[in-house]
Amino acid sequence: MSSETNKILTTDGIPLEESLKKAERKNKIKAFLLVCPLLLFLIITYVFPIGEMFTRSIDDKMITNMLPNTFKSMESWDGQDMPEESVFENFYIDFKKLVENKEHGKLAQRLNKEKNGFNTILKKLFRQIQRNKIDENGSFKDQITSLHKRFNDIEYWRAIKRTAPPYTMAKYLKGMDLFIDENGGIAQVEEDRRIHRILWLRTLEIAFFVTVFCFLMGYPIAHLLATLPMKYSNLLMICVLLPFWTSLLVRTASWMILLQQQGIVNDFFVMIGLVSDDNRPEMMYNKVGTYVAMTQILLPFMVLPLYSVMKTISPSLMRAGKSLGGTPFVAFWKVYFPLTIPGIGAGCLLVFILAIGYYITPALVGGASGTLISNQIAYHMKTTLDWSFASAMGLMLLTGVLVVYWIYNKLVGVDNIKLG
Amino acid sequence: MKKLTKLFLALSFALSITTSAFAVTVASWGGAYTESQKLGYGDPTASKLGIEINWVDYSGGLSEIKAQKEAGAITWDIIDVFAFDTINGCDEGIFVEFDFDKDFPAAPDGTPASKDFFAPMPSKCAVGNILYSWNYAYNKNNVKGTPKTIKDFFNTKKFPGKRAIYKSALTNLEIALAADGIKPGKGGEKIYKALETEKGVQRAMDKIKALCTDPQGGCVFWSAGAQPPELLMSGEVVMATGWNGRFFNAIVGEGAPLVQVWDGQGLDYEYFALVKGGPNEADAKKALAMMTNTEMLAGSAKYIAYAPYRISSLDVIKKNEPWYKDGKTEMMPQMPTAPNNTKNYFLVDPFFWADNGTELGEKWEAMKAGL
Repeated sequence: MSSETNKILTTDGIPLEESLKKAERKNKIKAFLLVCPLLLFLIITYVFPIGEMFTRSIDDKMITNMLPNTFKSMESWDGQDMPEESVFENFYIDFKKLVENKEHGKLAQRLNKEKNGFNTILKKLFRQIQRNKIDENGSFKDQITSLHKRFNDIEYWRAIKRTAPPYTMAKYLKGMDLFIDENGGIAQVEEDRRIHRILWLRTLEIAFFVTVFCFLMGYPIAHLLATLPMKYSNLLMICVLLPFWTSLLVRTASWMILLQQQGIVNDFFVMIGLVSDDNRPEMMYNKVGTYVAMTQILLPFMVLPLYSVMKTISPSLMRAGKSLGGTPFVAFWKVYFPLTIPGIGAGCLLVFILAIGYYITPALVGGASGTLISNQIAYHMKTTLDWSFASAMGLMLLTGVLVVYWIYNKLVGVDNIKLG
Repeated sequence: MKKLTKLFLALSFALSITTSAFAVTVASWGGAYTESQKLGYGDPTASKLGIEINWVDYSGGLSEIKAQKEAGAITWDIIDVFAFDTINGCDEGIFVEFDFDKDFPAAPDGTPASKDFFAPMPSKCAVGNILYSWNYAYNKNNVKGTPKTIKDFFNTKKFPGKRAIYKSALTNLEIALAADGIKPGKGGEKIYKALETEKGVQRAMDKIKALCTDPQGGCVFWSAGAQPPELLMSGEVVMATGWNGRFFNAIVGEGAPLVQVWDGQGLDYEYFALVKGGPNEADAKKALAMMTNTEMLAGSAKYIAYAPYRISSLDVIKKNEPWYKDGKTEMMPQMPTAPNNTKNYFLVDPFFWADNGTELGEKWEAMKAGL
């Protein structure tokens, strides 16, 4: 049976299949053009910056180009003893060139990020060169090491050697308190500087518990909202939304006034005799404060998706469950709860993702435990200008979120998310 | 009607572009501080030079200007920055380098600008604006006795109760060592010498840790400048380190029962930096020279208790007391640089912090995590 015998033709003689394809293609192009602005928007505001962040986090070419001779002579240096004269000589040659181009400050900045303390000693060397105090016929090693005791510290030279590769994963390692040692292996940083792992765990812990608390509090509220008669539910809805429209800092500050040791809640406890005056519980400037303030701030993000899902569940389903012999709990657990899972997924993901990047509220109410990984990112963005490290940590955070998303997909299925 | 609105919109847009092209834009910290800058020397300079000076708020750090520069769309001319930001910004080539005696007018008595500054500039890209103090205060209603020294801040036996300290290592390590018995020396150089060593850092951390874990003491970490007076007034803490301008405002402005202690204070600075390739660099340079002259700088002390960077400005204040805007408060005793307040002090060392900030910050956080 050949296909030609089956071909159906339109009135103007073109095969129907072809004409249909043509019409569809037009529609497809139209549809594509319609989503084009959004696609462009996503590429410009999302894909491109993340790509840029990634290159920034691994790109270390700048210093590779600044100290070409030094790195070359360092290739044969094993990093066990102080480097030889040739390394010092080449370092001097490279540095002098940078001074001539007024780029020595950039080098000092970059090296200070690798090991603190470079700023001062490179400025010293800069001043010596400016005043022509370095004798180019003498031993560079002796002259440079006599400038400052740090030049005599092998750790500083190891730090320079570490920056040689044009691309590096060092920033990611640093984000986990690791570094590449002089043998090329991965080692832990000194014990009293291992801070990032603590911060990651703390960030995850806080985000996790805030999500749990939001869920425990948001679920009943959303249920009430969905089932109460309109006139009450509207009022309740306003109660949920009102704080949502209030400035974040105002809400945080109000919690501070309420919960601090000399605050209103504690005053009330003392007044009714629950606690004695000099034994007031600490509910602020610790993790309790962080949990309370963040849960309240993020609660609407849990309530709203839950509400929109619950609103679509017919009340007759629960009644049917009960009439088939289930206790109210069984009817809820077997009928109602499974139907709300898409809302739970959406709410939990939203809250968790927002919580993991939070830092202003914890910094204000969290006391000694108020520093989270996002504070560290902001610090390196704003103060040290170590944008590559900030990018690396930002991407690690993003990866963390994607992992949560992946786990969620495995457990519940992304298709089940329902935002409204 | 619709056409008219459109036209109006287009016009206002064009207008906003043209006005901003002739105005000098200064980015500063906002709040009462920017208010003092605007009223003290911003507005007078603008009217004298016949230009417009716009004040915009920013939250510190160089990330924004660096981003503006990388994007090739610089919108700020002058930025109010910390010392280490001027060093970093100078190194990164963001700011214009100055020749101080040429670019800035001399004092009325003829002292060249560079000799008239309270302390030398941390970099060639900075011109001093004010000095402020990291001192501490207590609430006299909640403290029995009168704390007088920085040692008293750490003395929980004599003055039991919680203390509020800044959330980062900056100045905390210095006061810890000053309280632990290290004499600051000239400008605090002995403190910084001690902090250069592992042992000194450990000593400072231990001192803070002892205060925070003491059942008689305890620490609240503050992050916003408004917090210390608030924490003192609510009785949450008995003593708090903070910025003297904020304490002054609480005492004079709101009548709070707070007392400032100047012993062991850290003097810190604010600078102006001129952005290289800013939208209006030439006017900005002129405006900057005028805003930081003797008369103009003294003007800001009318509105806030921070000391002008120029020594000669203090004479202007002294001659015209009471200088504060309410017409009855003498400002000289409130100046962090006043002789009575600088008997035992240290100058916050921007080079030390530019060098060691990251490492000490990590150690500080690790110490805090163990509290």
